[in-house]
Amino acid sequence: MSFFKDRNCYLKDYNLSLTDKVLGFNYLYLLFICLVVVMGIGVLYSVGGGHFNPWASKQLFRFIVSLGVLYVIALSNLRFWMKYAYVIYAIGLILLVAVSVVGHVGMGAQRWLNLGFFNLQPSEIMKIALVLALARYFHGASLEEVRSLKFMIPPVLMMIIPVAFILEQPDLGTALMLVFAAGGIFYLMGVQIWKFVVLISAAALSMPLIWSFLHEYQKKRVLTFLNPESDPLGSGYHIAQSKITLGSGGVFGKGFLQGTQSRLNFIPEKQTDFILTVLSEEFGLIGALVLCLLYAAIIAYGFIIAHRCNNFFGKILALGLTINFALYVFINMSMVMGLMPVVGVPLPLMSYGGTAMLTLFIGFGLVECVFINREMVIGRRGSIDDE
Amino acid sequence: MSVWKYEKTRVMTQRMIGLAVIFVLMGCIIIGRLFYLQVLQGEKYLLLAEKNRISVRLTMPSRGTIYDRNGVKLAENAKTFQAVLIKEEARDYRQTLDRFLKLIPLDEDEVSRIQKELRWKRAFMPVRIKDNLSFDEMTLLQLNAPDLPGIQIEEGMMRFYPAGTGNTHVVGYVSLLTEKDVAGNTSDPLLDLPGYRIGRTGIESSMEAVLKGKPGVRKSEINAMGRTVRVLEETPPESGQDVFLTIDSRLQNYATRLMARYAASAVVINVRTGEILALVSTPSFDANLFTVPISVKNWNKLLHHKYRPLQNKVLSGLYSPGSIFKLVVGLAGLESGVITASSKVDCQGKTKLGNHLFHCWKKNGHGSMTLEQALMHSCDVYFYEMAQKIGADKIIETARKLGFGEALNVGLNSESSGLLPTSDWKLRRFNDAWRMGDTLNLSIGQGFLNATPLQIATAVARIAGGRNLHPTLLKSNVESSIEKIDFKEYYLKLIRSGMYDVVNRVGGTAYAVRINVDGQKMAGKTATTQVRRISLKEREEGVKSQDDLPEKYRDHAIFAAFAPTDKPKYAAVVLVEHGGGGSRTAAPLMKQLMQYVLELDKSDKKELKK
Repeated sequence: MSFFKDRNCYLKDYNLSLTDKVLGFNYLYLLFICLVVVMGIGVLYSVGGGHFNPWASKQLFRFIVSLGVLYVIALSNLRFWMKYAYVIYAIGLILLVAVSVVGHVGMGAQRWLNLGFFNLQPSEIMKIALVLALARYFHGASLEEVRSLKFMIPPVLMMIIPVAFILEQPDLGTALMLVFAAGGIFYLMGVQIWKFVVLISAAALSMPLIWSFLHEYQKKRVLTFLNPESDPLGSGYHIAQSKITLGSGGVFGKGFLQGTQSRLNFIPEKQTDFILTVLSEEFGLIGALVLCLLYAAIIAYGFIIAHRCNNFFGKILALGLTINFALYVFINMSMVMGLMPVVGVPLPLMSYGGTAMLTLFIGFGLVECVFINREMVIGRRGSIDDE
Repeated sequence: MSVWKYEKTRVMTQRMIGLAVIFVLMGCIIIGRLFYLQVLQGEKYLLLAEKNRISVRLTMPSRGTIYDRNGVKLAENAKTFQAVLIKEEARDYRQTLDRFLKLIPLDEDEVSRIQKELRWKRAFMPVRIKDNLSFDEMTLLQLNAPDLPGIQIEEGMMRFYPAGTGNTHVVGYVSLLTEKDVAGNTSDPLLDLPGYRIGRTGIESSMEAVLKGKPGVRKSEINAMGRTVRVLEETPPESGQDVFLTIDSRLQNYATRLMARYAASAVVINVRTGEILALVSTPSFDANLFTVPISVKNWNKLLHHKYRPLQNKVLSGLYSPGSIFKLVVGLAGLESGVITASSKVDCQGKTKLGNHLFHCWKKNGHGSMTLEQALMHSCDVYFYEMAQKIGADKIIETARKLGFGEALNVGLNSESSGLLPTSDWKLRRFNDAWRMGDTLNLSIGQGFLNATPLQIATAVARIAGGRNLHPTLLKSNVESSIEKIDFKEYYLKLIRSGMYDVVNRVGGTAYAVRINVDGQKMAGKTATTQVRRISLKEREEGVKSQDDLPEKYRDHAIFAAFAPTDKPKYAAVVLVEHGGGGSRTAAPLMKQLMQYVLELDKSDKKELKK
C-alpha cells in the first residue's frame, strides 16, 4: 500500500498550472465532438437549401461560443463543482418552478424563461444539475449505504421533484432522460438489480394512472406510434415521412444538397429533431454509420475518462453525463426511425438549437475537467484530504 | 486505499461493463434499424419519396371563341385565378378549409358545395374553393400558404359574353359541373378539372366537342405544401376550335330590344344561302350570370318569369302557323292543278260542311276571290273550298317539302320538330279517322298542326328564294350551291305576288307596314292564331274582342315576310305570343326589323365596295 500512500502524498497539494491543464485536455475526445458539430452544420447548410442562413451560420456561431464555455469549464477546478453541486441543483429547481409560474409559452409547452436577451430553458440546466447533485451525493457513499433503502430516499427525491415539474410543462422527452440518467447512476453505484425490477414492475402497473395524466397530444403521439398507418395524414404523417426520407437515402444517399424530401419540406422540424433523416437521405447508410461511430467514440471516451478518474465525484459525473448523452442519441434516433413515439428530443450536437448545444458543451466541459483532474483526490465530504 | 473505496470501485467497474453492454445493444438496434430502412426497404421508400415529390396535374385548355358573321366575339375567355384544394396534399383538409374560410369567408351555399365536392371527388382531384381571386385575396393566400396545406392557386378560365344579351339564346352559356355531370365519367379528363365549365345551352352546348379542346398535362415537383417548385415536363393543352356563326349580333341585339316587352320570336334567314342572320327569342337574359354560379334568386327569377326567358321560343316554341299556312295550301293547289291563277271562289263569309259551319274571319265575306286576292285578304273561305278539292295528303306533302314537320338541325340542340298531322297520325293518336273538318282546319293553319317560328321562316324562305335551302347558324355548314326547290317557279311567283299584295296593295292585311328602302319593298303574310275561342258565355258578358281577354288567352300574332320583293334575299318571321292580331302587333315589329335588315345589307355592301 505504500505506493498508494506515496501517490496520495504527492496529490495532497494537487494543483495544476494552466498550461498543464490546457495540455492535459483529451483532444481526441474533443475532436470527435467537433466532428459531429461540423457534420451537423453541413446538414443545416443543406437544410437551408444550400445556404448558410438561417441555420448553419447561427449554429456555427453557437458552436464557437459553446467551445469557449467548454474551455472555461474544463479549466476550472473540479472541487468547485463538488462544492456547489447542491447549490446549482437548487438554482435549477427554483428556475423550474419559476418556469411553471411565469413560463413563456412556446411550442405549446411552457419550457422557456425569457431573460430578455436569451430564452433560458431550466430543464436543460437540470440535466446537468441533477447529475452534479447525484455525483456529489454518491461521491462518499459506501456500497452498504447505497444498498440501504433509507440512504436512497434523498437521491430518488432529487430525481422525482424536477421530473414532476418537467412533466407538468409538459416535456416527456426531457423527463424521461432525467429518469434514465438518474437510474443509470443508481445502477452504477451498485443498487441491487431486484430493486429496479420491482420499481419497473410497479411503474408498469401504474401505467393506466400515468396515462390519465398525459396530455391529449401526448396520448395521440403514443397511439400513432403504436399504429402509424392509422392516420397517415394526421399525427402519423411525421413518422411516415420521416421513414420515407431515411429509407429513400439507400446505401449511398442522394448526394449533398440533393435530398428531395427535406428540400421540399416533407420533413417537419427537419432542422431540429428530424435532422438525422436529412443526413441519411443525402449521405445514405454510410453517412448515418459515420455519425453512429462518432457518437460511439464519444460515449466510449466518456467511459474511459470515468474509468481513469481517481475520484468518485469525477467518475460519477463523467458517467452520468455520458449516459445522458447516449440516451439523447438513442431516443432521438429511435423516434426518428419509428422505434419510439415522437417525444421531442433533439439529436445532440447535430440539431439546430442554442440551449441544447450550450448545455451539451457545458457537460463536455465538465467531462474534460474530470479528465484533466483525474488524479485529484477529493475527500469524502469534499475536503482536500482523503479521509 | 480504504476498503469501502475498493469495494465501490469494483462494483462500479462491473456495472460500467454492464452499462457498456447495454449501450452496445442499443447501438446494434439503431444500426440494425438503419440497415432495415435504408437497405432492405430503401427501394420502397425511394418510390414513396418520388410519389411525394412529383405531382401530375391537368391544365385547362382555352375554350374556342365564338364569332358572329362579322367577326364580333360573342363568347370569349378571360384568365382568372382560382383557389383549389387538393385533399391528398392536405394533411387535414377540413382544417385547411376552416383556415381558408377564416381568411376569405364564403357564403353558406358555397361552403356546403365545397364540402360535398370534397366528399365525392377523388383525393387527388382539386376542388375549386374560390374563383376569380382578387389581387388582395391572392396575396393573403400566399402569405398564409404554410398554414394552408393542400390549397393551390391555379389559373382558371372564365367565359365572357361581351356582345350583349341579344345573343344569349343562340350562343348559350356555360356553367360549372355538378355531381351529375361527372358521375360515371371515365373518358373525359376535362370533367375532372376544377373550374371547368361545360356548355349548357345554345352553341356552347351543341358545339361542346369542338369548343372544349384537350387538357394539357403538367408534371411538376411540389413541396410538402403542395406548391410547385419547378415544372419537370409539360404537354401544353390543346385549345378548342373557334366557331363562326352566321348571325349578326347587331341584328340580334336590335331585334331583342325591339321585342323586349313581349314573349316573342324573330328569325331572319338569307334565302339564297340558308344563313340565319338573326334568331331571337325574348325576353332574353345575360349569359354572364351563369359563369359565376348563378344565385338562387336570379335563377328563380328566370325560371318563374311568365314570359319564359330560358326557353328558346324560335326553336322549341310550338304554335299554329295560322293564315301563313295558306301559302302552303295555295302552292299545293297550284301543284295539283286544282288552283290556277284565275280560278275563283265566291266568299260569302262561311262554308258549310255537313251540319257544321266554317266561318271566314270576315263575317260578310270577301266576294269573288282569286288565289292572289285570297292571300292578300287572307280569305278563309277560299282555302276551305280549295282544300276540299286538293285533299289533305297533297297539302301535307307540300308542307313537308317546305320544312314543316321535322327538325331542321340549324346547329342547336333542343329543336322541336313540330307536328304535321296525317291521317295515320290521327288514327294512332286519337284512334279516329281523318275527317274533312280536319282538312278545313289544316287549310287555315289551325287544328292539330303546329310549327316552330323557325319552320315558318324556313317555309317562307324556300318560297321566296325558290331554293331548297337548309337554314343554319354555322358558317361551316353553309352550302355553296343550293338546288332549286321542287316547285314550278311560276307557282312560287303567284304565291309571292299574293304576299306582295298583302303589304303593298291598298286593302292588304298589312298595307300599313309597307316599306321602301331605296326602292326595296317587303312582301309578307299575316297570321292571327287562336289560343282560345271567345266562348258564347263570354260574348254575352260583353267580351267582344281579344283585348278584353286575359293576356294568356289572347291570340298569337305572326308576320312572315321577305324582302326585297324583286330579288328576294331575306325571309323573316316575327311571332308575338298573345300579341292579338298579326297585322296589328307582329307586322309593325317586322316593318322595323326588315328595314334594319335592309339598311345593314346596304351598309355592309358599301363597306365591301370600299
